[in-house]
This record gives sequence, C-alpha cells and structure tokens, in this order.
Amino acid sequence: MLTKIAGGEIIDPVNGRSGKGDLWIRDEQIVEPPAGGKADRTFDASGCVVMAGAIDIHSHIGGGNVNTARLLLPKQHAAHLPRPAQTPLSNAGWSTFETGCLYAKMGFTTVVEPAMNPGAALHTHLELADIPIIDKATLAILGNDDFLLSLIRDGASEQAIDDYVAWTVGTTRALGVKVINAGAAAAFKENVRAFSLDDVVPSYGVSSRNIVKTLQASVGRLGVPHPLHVHCNNLGAAGAADTAAATIAAAEGLPLHLAHLQFYGYGTEGKRKFSSEAARLAELVNASPEVTIDVGQVMFGQTVTVSSDVMRQFSARATAHPKKWVIWDGDGNGGGIVPYRYREDFYGTLQWAIGLELFLLITDPWRVFFTTDHPNGAPFTAYPKLFELLMRRDARNAMAEGLSKSAMALSTLASIDREYTFDEIAIMTRAAPAKLLGLKDRGHLGAGALADVAVYRRGPDIAQMLGSAAFVFKNGDLVVRDGAVTHYRWGRALRLNPAPDRAMVRRLDDFYQDRYGLSLDWFSFPDSAIARENPFAEVA
Amino acid sequence: MAVAWIGNREASLQRAAEEAAKLLQSSRCPVFSFDTDVHGTRAAIALAERVGAAYDHIDGAVLARETALFTDRGGMVVAPGETRRRADVVVIVGELPEAHRRFLLELAVTEPDQPAAGQRSFFSVGKQTPPLDGKRAATQLTCGEAGLAATLAALRALCAGRQVSTPVANFDIFAQAIAEARFPVFLFSGHAADALALEMLQGLIGDLNATGRASGLHLTASESGWGSALASTWMTGFPPRTGFSRGFPEHDPWRYDVARMIAAGEADCHLWISGSAERPPPKPRKDMLLVALAKTSGPVAGAAVTIRIGETGVDHDGVGYLARIGTLTALAARSPTDLPSAAAILRAIAEKVPAEAVPPC
Repeated sequence: MLTKIAGGEIIDPVNGRSGKGDLWIRDEQIVEPPAGGKADRTFDASGCVVMAGAIDIHSHIGGGNVNTARLLLPKQHAAHLPRPAQTPLSNAGWSTFETGCLYAKMGFTTVVEPAMNPGAALHTHLELADIPIIDKATLAILGNDDFLLSLIRDGASEQAIDDYVAWTVGTTRALGVKVINAGAAAAFKENVRAFSLDDVVPSYGVSSRNIVKTLQASVGRLGVPHPLHVHCNNLGAAGAADTAAATIAAAEGLPLHLAHLQFYGYGTEGKRKFSSEAARLAELVNASPEVTIDVGQVMFGQTVTVSSDVMRQFSARATAHPKKWVIWDGDGNGGGIVPYRYREDFYGTLQWAIGLELFLLITDPWRVFFTTDHPNGAPFTAYPKLFELLMRRDARNAMAEGLSKSAMALSTLASIDREYTFDEIAIMTRAAPAKLLGLKDRGHLGAGALADVAVYRRGPDIAQMLGSAAFVFKNGDLVVRDGAVTHYRWGRALRLNPAPDRAMVRRLDDFYQDRYGLSLDWFSFPDSAIARENPFAEVA
Repeated sequence: MAVAWIGNREASLQRAAEEAAKLLQSSRCPVFSFDTDVHGTRAAIALAERVGAAYDHIDGAVLARETALFTDRGGMVVAPGETRRRADVVVIVGELPEAHRRFLLELAVTEPDQPAAGQRSFFSVGKQTPPLDGKRAATQLTCGEAGLAATLAALRALCAGRQVSTPVANFDIFAQAIAEARFPVFLFSGHAADALALEMLQGLIGDLNATGRASGLHLTASESGWGSALASTWMTGFPPRTGFSRGFPEHDPWRYDVARMIAAGEADCHLWISGSAERPPPKPRKDMLLVALAKTSGPVAGAAVTIRIGETGVDHDGVGYLARIGTLTALAARSPTDLPSAAAILRAIAEKVPAEAVPPC
C-alpha cells in the first residue's frame, strides 16, 4: 500500500530536510516519491510538523521492579482510572496497555527499558510484549553480580569478560549493557551504607571504578553499538556532582553514557548545603565528546521511584510518600521501590531547575537525551509540558514564578535565554537516540527507513501540540488519529544476538550448579514462551 | 475423544465456546476463578474485561494475604539464590507450604559461601517442626499459647529491648545468633501467616536493618497464584480480586473475593479454569451457571458448559512462577498431548464475544 502524507513541514535533520513537502510510505517503509505514483491513501498534513517517531532511551516501563511499584500503589492507580484527564501526573501505576497507548499518542514509537535483571529476563520480556504499538528494547544489568565481580577479582582475561558479557546480552535478548551503582548492591549485602567511585566492594577487593572501566571496555570490544549505560554512585546525594565529574573523567576518550545526570547535579553550597552544580557538569559534558547523558528531569507531583540501585533506595526509604516501600536484595542488583512526591519547595525547585539547566547548557543536542527517568523524575506523561519548558523561555519563567525563590537564586536557569528549535527536538528525541542505540532503520525520514512517523498539528500550545499527535504511523500503519489510539498492533523487542562461547556456557553452568544448585535453564527461554508472533527483532 | 459438552451433551469446541460466550455475556455478574499459567491468566483477564467479570485465583484466600503485604505495606525481600549463598541464620516463620520442602532441605544440607564460607543455623517461629528431615534442628521460638502474629510481636519487642508479658522461649539463643549473623533471612508465606503476622515480621526485619542486614524470603503459598498475581498486576495495575463491572479494572480484596461473591449469591455465572486434575470444579449453586474449563474426560456435574483443557508443563508448554528462582520461567510439557491450553480456549471464547473498539485492558 502506498501512503502519502501531504503538505506537512518535514523536519528530518539526518537527511537535511526542513520545510514543506510530502512524505511517501510503501507498506512499512519510507520511500522516495514514486514517479507518477498514485497514493492509495493520502493524509493532509498541512499546518503540521512531520517527524520520525520519537525514541525514549531510558524509561522504566516493564520488569519485576516496575511491577512491584504497580503492586505497591493500587490507590494511585484507582484514583486515576475513572478520571484520567484530571490526574495526568498522579498515576504511577500504569498497566502495560496504558503505557503503550500513552506513548503512542505523543508520537513515541520506540522505548528502551534500561534496567533488565538478567535472571528475570523472561518476566521483563513478557511485560514488554503486552505493551502495544511501540517497539521496545532492554539493557541488561551487570556489575553487582558475583560472577563478574569474581572474574575481575581473579584477573580474568579480556576474552573471558567479553564472553560473559556477550552471553548475558544474547541470553537475555538485550540491546546493551547497564551498570547501576557499580558494586554498591553487592557491598550493601555486607551492610555497607555508602559507596563511591573509588570505594572497594568488600570480599572482592574490586573498586566501583574498576567495574565500570571493565564493562566499558568490554562493551566497546564486543561492538555493542550503545556505549555502556552508567548509573553513577551517590545518586541524589548533595555533593554527587563530584562523583558525576569523576565518572565523566573516567570515560577517558571512550564512549560512555551517563543516565539521569540531573540526579547528580547537586552541590553543597548554601545554608541548606544543597545547590546546583549543573553549569559545571554541563561544561564537563560539553568538553567530553565521548560522553552522552540523559537528563532525568524532575516535574512536580506524585510519582514512584523505581531503581535497581538498592543501596540508594534503602537510604531514601524514610522519604517515602505514601509511607511504604519495597527493598529487594536480588541476585545481582535487586532493587527498591520508594513512592515520592516532588514538591514545589526548595529541594524540588532546585532539582527541577538543575534538569532544565542541563538541557539548556549542554550545547550539542546529539549528546543530551530527553528523559524524566520515568517514573523516577516524573511519569513520561510529563513530556509534553517538558517540551514546552525547553522550547518556550516564557513558559519556564512563568512556572519559576510560583516556585522557591531561594532555590532559584542558587541556579543559573533564570539567566538562560536558549529555546530549543524543532530541529533540535528532532535530533534529541529521534536522530540522536537512533544513533546512540545503533538503530539505523529509524530516527529519520529517509528512503528505506521504517515508517515510524509522528505528525503534529502546529499550534501556540506546545504541550498540546506534542502531547496529542494528529497522526502517528507505526511500521506504516496508522495507529493514532487526533490524539486517540485507533487500534492495537504489537511491536517487537529489539535485541542483539551475539553467539555464546561454548566454554563460557559450560563454565557458567558449572558455576550455577555449584553455587546456586540450579542449571542455566534459569536464564534461558524459547521465543515461543512470549506467546506472540515474532516478539523479537535482531539488530544487525 | 470428546472435548466439550453443553450440559451433558457432547458438542463441538466451536459450539461450546459460543455457548460459553453467550452465557458470560448475558450474565449480570460473571465471576472467574482460575488456577492457570501466565498465558492462561492473560487470556482470562482479557476475557473478563470483555464481559465485565470479576476474577480471582482459586487460592485467592492465601494469595490475598501475600498481595496485601505489597499493596498495603511493602517491606524487604531477598532472592532465593542469595538466601542459599548468604543466609547464616534462617528463620522459618510458621508452617511453610509443602511445595517448598525441597528448598528447605537444600538450605539444610548447604552452607553459606558468601561473603566467606560459614555455617547456617535454623530457627522456627511457632509450634510447627520444620521438615529439615533430621539434617539440622531448628531452635523453636514460641511464646506461650500466642499465635504467629503475637509471637512475632513479642520477638520484635524483645529484639528492640522492650519488656513482654510472656517470654519467647529460646530468645537468648536467637538474640545471640542475630547479633553474630551477617545476613539472617526469614522465610515466610501466606500459608500460615495472616496479614498481621506478615506485617509484624516486616516490622522486625526493618528494625534489624537499622544497624545490620536481614531480609525476608517470600515462599509463596501458591506458585500458580503468584504467577497470576504478577501478570494481573502488569495488565491491570492490580493483583487478582479485581473486577471490570464498571468497564475499567477495580481492585477490592473483599468485594471481588470470588468465593465470597458466589457464597453470597451475588454471582450468576461462574467460569472455573483449572488444568489440574486434582482441582475439580465445585458443585454449582442452583441459582448460578457454571462454565468449567477442566482436565476432565466427561461433562462436569451441573455445568452448563464443560471444555476439556490440558495442564501447563504436563500437556503443553507455558510460563509459570517458580519460587526456587523467584521469577517466571518457561515450563516445557513433560508428556505433551493435544489437549488445548486454558489460554487457547479462553481466546476462542473471547472471539465469540462482540469486540469493543479497543482491545484488552
């Protein structure tokens, strides 16, 4: 079938298109305008902006910890259901079905779940398979697991490390590797309560830095397109900017991605010993071309923090609102669920301002990624409002008016004039994520690309415009019209598939038999266990 | 071989599915109870949404205690693998379900190896004798005639240095063991522990974590139930005992207790789903229709519709929760037959119900 999206303002930085024109789709792909071609159907996109489908590189949308968060917060969910329009930020407990629909309405067509526990990969993929419309991908967590820490302690060869990392990525059907507060979850099991980059995991004699560097190098050697995805130590702590700065320096010229940098943008100035270090971190990022970051913007209201940083979540348990939480010591990282309300007080305001400072002071839109670390900084439904804050200085200043003056005084936000352009938005939320993840078939509108297309009707209200797409196509199939989902289709989980090394498989099997009394069947499952047609797509 | 019956008369699968769909759709208060794998649960919930039914697990009574721990309170839990490798003190809280006997034995014949080689000691809270099969003895912690919750309360008070009216037997041994332990783990289940006991246990674990480490290992009272609870939670935001009577999912552990709804005469049509031959459907009330998906060779007595299904992991592949690894796992058929899965039949029934504009949940 030949589809024409006619007369829209096409924004496609990868292919240098920016201006009025038509976009042609044949079946699932974008094609060159066919000579004398007649469209089977035509969509009028006059007055609209046409972009590739958006890609979210870091959003906790599925897996054991996310599900525990749902289970922990039935009341938030119940309050939302009868009146979804009135409580856009109050609900942190969405079902998989709602997750897919809510993303699609905003024109997002690919979302990465960044924290898959390798021992529970089947559970994660089952949840992702129940998220309609969008494609998904996962990052497998390593760096607190006994097997890797033992390899590093014992001075294992690069080959052994690579074989283990490759086996993990392949078996769990991941697209990349994440390390979360490297070594801290293992140290927490031995009652260590604080852990920084050069601290050493007891019983292993391995530093956090060593774990990060080992994984960074291995991911690079294996040719995994996405650089090691790092959740640094000391998340949320006053003074964490020093840790983030040290981690940025530790990239040492090789690709490294730092997740939700906002949560590390904190200094120790002022009478509350809590201040913004965003300008300093932005400068470091600007000066380190090998480093990419996503922001993890905070927006105000009720949410729930879901993290495999079990040590941090344990220390945050007293801040739980409502007052209940779950801490899970897992086989590697485990996790913690702590519901939280971001208030428009000094601390909340400063966090909000730091996130925006990072967005606005990091100059290269190819290296700063648009996230709220859903649901940790805010649910992803806050995205439309966040786009507005980035694209409209007046909207930022108007919102800042109602916030803590003393916090704003410690931030440079009020002095920043920058407004994101649609071109920059298209880079940050389309082109750059595709490049960062190694997904050549999306993030742009060139011939041969997957026909994931978002069409937004231009209007004065940016949040309305980007929150409720006029049309969204997934694989060339119209899935959203006038901000409403028209029908379900089932996307795939994008994965890498490195061949496992047989000697490593035998070694792992021996290890699990000996230490856990279990075979490697724990980790393996056939694609048919997902019970959907073609649940996975291999990224070459 | 017959696969479906309408009343006592053999019918094609097609006809039986149509009849089941008709009964469910015309029901004013349909209720589902199931004991099935993750995919059976997914299909059941999708059908429940379509016909506005309430659903519960067949083990709902014990399962609800465990889900309530998470919905109402939260707490600290640990993976079974970490328990085997780190637990130097194992505390068995009340009687554990028979299904976990093998893991208990495994703990009894192994020693912790992390952070370094060590030894494991066992305690039990309550009067039961844990089935460690003579490999180890568990020191019993009892508190006069007190039940589990009250015994745990006394234990917690004593650990916090408070006075109690009735002492806990062997508390000194316990206190000494905890003081020296690096990672004590409390094994719990909704089988013996009610909501209050589970809450008190989490209070004790939380107290111990103020200065040291400790956690709880959740050994569910129903592996099938916990698998269904996980799938239900990601599909609707809620565990079982959820209903779609208003068109969107609502969770209420009392109102949507399906056994209660049936006993109180609220339900007029009951869909029973279990591929286990050991779980025959109940005899239906006179004023209620029964649709039974069961592993049966003939029509279920009193059922308006009976459809034969197989058992996950025996007749067909599936996905279930395995407490030994603390997550979902693929279950391969042990002796495959061509009996259909509950999921396949439930989808066939759903196809006969006129579709709404937007599909499930």
